[in-house]
Amino acid sequence: MLTCESLCKYYQSSKGMVKSLDEINLSVSKGEFLEVRGHSGSGKTTLLLTLGAMMQPTQGKVVFKGTDLYRLNRAERARVRSSSIGFVFQMFHLIPYLDVVGNVLAGDDGNHSGACSKSEALLQELGLGHRLNHLPNQLSAGEKQRVALARAMVASPDLILADEPTGNLDPENSKEVCRHLKRYQEKGGTVIVVTHGDAVHDFANRTIDLKAGEIIPGPLLDPQSDEA
Amino acid sequence: MLPLILREISFRKGHTTIMLCGLISVTALMTAYLSTESAAERETKRVARDLGFNLRILPKQTDMDLYWFQGFSDQTMPEATVERLANYQGVFMTYNHLMASLRQKITMGGGDVILVGVAPTITSPDKKKRPMGFTIKARTLHLGYQVGQRLGLKSGDTLQLSGHDFKIEKVMVEYGTEEDVYVYGTLKDVQGIAGKPGQINEIKAIDCLCLTADQDPISILRNELEKILPEAKVIQDRVQADARARQRQMVQRKFEFLSPFLMVCGAIWVAVLSALNVRERRSEIGIWRALGKGGGFIAGLVIGKAMIIGFFAGFLGFWVGNTMALEVGPSIFQITAKAIKTEWSYLVWSLILTPLLAAAASFIPAMLAVTQDPAETLRES
Repeated sequence: MLTCESLCKYYQSSKGMVKSLDEINLSVSKGEFLEVRGHSGSGKTTLLLTLGAMMQPTQGKVVFKGTDLYRLNRAERARVRSSSIGFVFQMFHLIPYLDVVGNVLAGDDGNHSGACSKSEALLQELGLGHRLNHLPNQLSAGEKQRVALARAMVASPDLILADEPTGNLDPENSKEVCRHLKRYQEKGGTVIVVTHGDAVHDFANRTIDLKAGEIIPGPLLDPQSDEA
Repeated sequence: MLPLILREISFRKGHTTIMLCGLISVTALMTAYLSTESAAERETKRVARDLGFNLRILPKQTDMDLYWFQGFSDQTMPEATVERLANYQGVFMTYNHLMASLRQKITMGGGDVILVGVAPTITSPDKKKRPMGFTIKARTLHLGYQVGQRLGLKSGDTLQLSGHDFKIEKVMVEYGTEEDVYVYGTLKDVQGIAGKPGQINEIKAIDCLCLTADQDPISILRNELEKILPEAKVIQDRVQADARARQRQMVQRKFEFLSPFLMVCGAIWVAVLSALNVRERRSEIGIWRALGKGGGFIAGLVIGKAMIIGFFAGFLGFWVGNTMALEVGPSIFQITAKAIKTEWSYLVWSLILTPLLAAAASFIPAMLAVTQDPAETLRES
């Protein structure tokens, strides 16, 4: 469903050229739960944003459902994101002035009938039935992340891209979030999670390790280490 | 999008209030200024008018030394001259008011007085302005202060001149000018007293020509009037004309300066606040992008917010400005205080222009938001 070929992303910094992604070749099948592990600065987030049609690679291509994403213009990529990709971020990125239901429906363009009832049902499923009209600043970190999950899932996208979704959560909430992602995958969705921890490991079908922008063979992270 | 904008507006109350206050200030000042502007203009005209006439048309043979010495021409011209002037469709010569008079020195009560016969003021048919000055009834006289004192006459008394009885209509207050020795009557009565029926010796005119001070209107006027009034000559009261023009131009310039200044200040205020708002909402903009929203949506959030705040500021600004004009205006423009009233058309303009000003001012911040790289924002946070 998703492949990338020779994917590179370079940045020009004051210290010279930084290779954030270097010749990444990756294929993700529909219904897969992929864990991408790597230390801070390994290029995980860059990979995620590039796969999610958010960041133009320096070279290489990303093919999603048969379409080379970066041959599309910005508006077309936006439409792909809107219809087929859900994002979850470590910092939740909830819209502070919208309540829980409003945040979940933020990406809705108003064309989906029953979106509101669907979002409420999803929030019930995620254990947020009692928080529907609360603002983000009235929620705990775990609850915020579950709202972000609901927002990513509500349009039933083919692909969910999660960037350190457990990074700000305690172990219990981390497992809760992973369970929801797993359930989504089991219902036929595709999930890619980038993380530097090991909370997701037990839920993923496949794990790849990233170091200095390259996929490396074999285990990278020591499960005991939780280096940020 | 509107509910989103309204929620954001109510969520960031501090930012909203500051932006609202800035726009209210601009709209209120503009409204107050415009509401009092017409009163100020009328007041300026009134003051300018009181400076005197800016043209004098005299019989051609007038001895100017004598004229300036005694204050009137020793020559006369036909009364029809003023009618001809009034009916003339001049190229350079335009007027608002024409007043023909006959002035004559006579002795009265052991002293000299200037007897002034005044014809009804002729108002330009194009201008639709009310006649100036005061109206004198036939067989009545208005006495200058000094004449009244000397003769011991007061309003209602009778004075005999050339065998006719004249009622003293009014003894004027002391002006401290040569008018204190004037006696005003109707032109016809004075012509009878002076024995010069159908004659006048001066036409005073106001606003005859609108030329700037660095031009020389007198030769243009003389050339033009020579053709229609060969029996007359023209002198311009240059100082008074210039003073009037300067006063009006000053009011105009003040407004021309103040309006853009206020607009620019308001626009900068909104632009800075919008830019700060965009900066504060970087991650929000990033997530909107991640959710598939386009540049139009992002720009709409920024500009829409400014326009909605602008709309409310337009309404409140009009209310504040109108209240200021009604409360403070009359104490500034005392002569035309009653002319200051609520101008409802300004409300309509406020409701249109304030949101447009806010939208224009927030355009650049909106473009910053649109061009902001969402990936960078989301990667950083």
